[in-house]
Amino acid sequence: MTAIHSPGGWRKYRRRLAAARAALLILLVLVLIVPVAWTVLASIDIKPEIATWPPGWTSSPSTDNYREVMTSVPGFPRVLMTSISLSVVTTGLTIWAAFFAAYALARWRFRGRRIAVQSFLVLASMPAMAYVIPLSDITRRLALRDTFGGVALAAAATYVPLAIYILYGYLIRVPAALEEMARLEGASLPRTLWSIILPAAAPGLGATAVLVFVLNWNLFLVPTALTLNHVKTIPVALSDFYTYERELEWSNAAAALVVSLLPVTAIVVLAHRVLERLSLGPTHENP
Amino acid sequence: MHTHRQRILLFLPLAALLVPFLFWPAVFGLLSSFTTYAPAQAHGRFVGFYNYATALQNPDLRLAFRNVAVLLTTAVPAELFIGAVVAYALREPFRGRGLLRVCLLMPWLLSPIATGVMWHFLYGHAGMLDWNLAWLRLPPQPSPLGIPGRALLAVGVTEIWRKAPLAGFLLLPGVLTVPTAHWEQAVLDGASLAMQFRHVLLPWVRPLLLTVALLLIGDTLGTFDSVLMMTGGGPGSETLTPALYSFQQAFKTYNWPFAVTSAWLIVGATLLVGLGYVFVVRTEEEL
Repeated sequence: MTAIHSPGGWRKYRRRLAAARAALLILLVLVLIVPVAWTVLASIDIKPEIATWPPGWTSSPSTDNYREVMTSVPGFPRVLMTSISLSVVTTGLTIWAAFFAAYALARWRFRGRRIAVQSFLVLASMPAMAYVIPLSDITRRLALRDTFGGVALAAAATYVPLAIYILYGYLIRVPAALEEMARLEGASLPRTLWSIILPAAAPGLGATAVLVFVLNWNLFLVPTALTLNHVKTIPVALSDFYTYERELEWSNAAAALVVSLLPVTAIVVLAHRVLERLSLGPTHENP
Repeated sequence: MHTHRQRILLFLPLAALLVPFLFWPAVFGLLSSFTTYAPAQAHGRFVGFYNYATALQNPDLRLAFRNVAVLLTTAVPAELFIGAVVAYALREPFRGRGLLRVCLLMPWLLSPIATGVMWHFLYGHAGMLDWNLAWLRLPPQPSPLGIPGRALLAVGVTEIWRKAPLAGFLLLPGVLTVPTAHWEQAVLDGASLAMQFRHVLLPWVRPLLLTVALLLIGDTLGTFDSVLMMTGGGPGSETLTPALYSFQQAFKTYNWPFAVTSAWLIVGATLLVGLGYVFVVRTEEEL
């Protein structure tokens, strides 16, 4: 039929396929890494030199930009601390609320459950812009505007639907038999949740937490709409000094970008095992 | 298996987040889009569909919706396709696959704000484009972000760079559930790559693909922070998006009714897509 069926054709086919795959993947890595590497180089003052041929690089690496970002940009260390604590608190809130709700959904058989779970996904796909403008007015009325708590609660509400959708997929696969036994032994609901469900769903909780943390770390709209200048996160600060201080050098911005990228990269590298098995929604059986 | 009271308790944290910080602002926004309400003034007057009629006649907003429609029909399918190809290429284990999977998350780890700042400079003077042109002994070019007719393309490319690898990362676990025998059988039958995609891959990853598509569409409908940093909507209004328009109306020109109305047009679009999603997956098996 084809070359595959001729003697040795199978091996040749495999080799060609492997070569094509290697080429594709090398291209992919270049496309992914080069822009980021370019930024890292700019942040240590290694910049492209295009006046000469062949084009090269200036070679006077220095860490001045990092020093400058940390000291002369007003309050950058504080911005960094705010971002870290806000992301941690928000992620905690999100996972806490999503875990209970997803568990209740997974153990409650009712007509329309499917629609309920899917509507959480639809809610998760809703851009925050849809409700953030009235939200800024509401938080002002609740005296939550420009407060840490207000931003944390609003940001948690932004990503809790996504967290529920993902956690539901994990919790529905935790067999109910163990819980049933614990209940017969007289264990209370909190006790069951803590010592049976939580360990069983730990990989899912971990992966979801990392995902939500990164989303919160990068969230711009909610903190910018809900704060004036008391609670400033990294994306807000980045957009600020880019909008108001146009004279800011690319190399300074690059240093700020690299600083903003480091914590999430560290977390993702540490958590890559649970992230790799992240499944969006329920796993599917044979089609 | 839980009592009614337990269920209420389990859903309570979720309700405490969603009701005041998502549902109420969304409903409040919907109601106020039929009035002249603005936070600064005491009373709003009911005006029916006046705001919607005005908004839909506004040339900037129409252009913004056209732009997002262009992104939805070009960038989103490209992201899904590239994601599927990447996931396909990564389906067989090889040395360094784990590392590559983490690398796939790299563009997504940068916040949209940071991505915007980064690409603004990469496209800009003495950036990556100019450096490559210099190799060909060509003079530096002005940033495509400032050129009418090219700016939206440049924005689209950035969006694809940011989201296609993420789509690949999310699709990979689905691709890995396809039994190896299916692939081998397809190859022995002489199936072309396109046929393998269509008849082996698609049936297995269809639900996951739909989920990822929904999230990408929602994200694209809300496209705003990266554009804010790259072009601010310019040149002219060529890269304006509805979310950016709404943001500017709310927080720059303080035209509240207009901002809320255009935000609700985004909600309408999202809900329409969401309904389509629910309808399409209705035929899938019970969750």
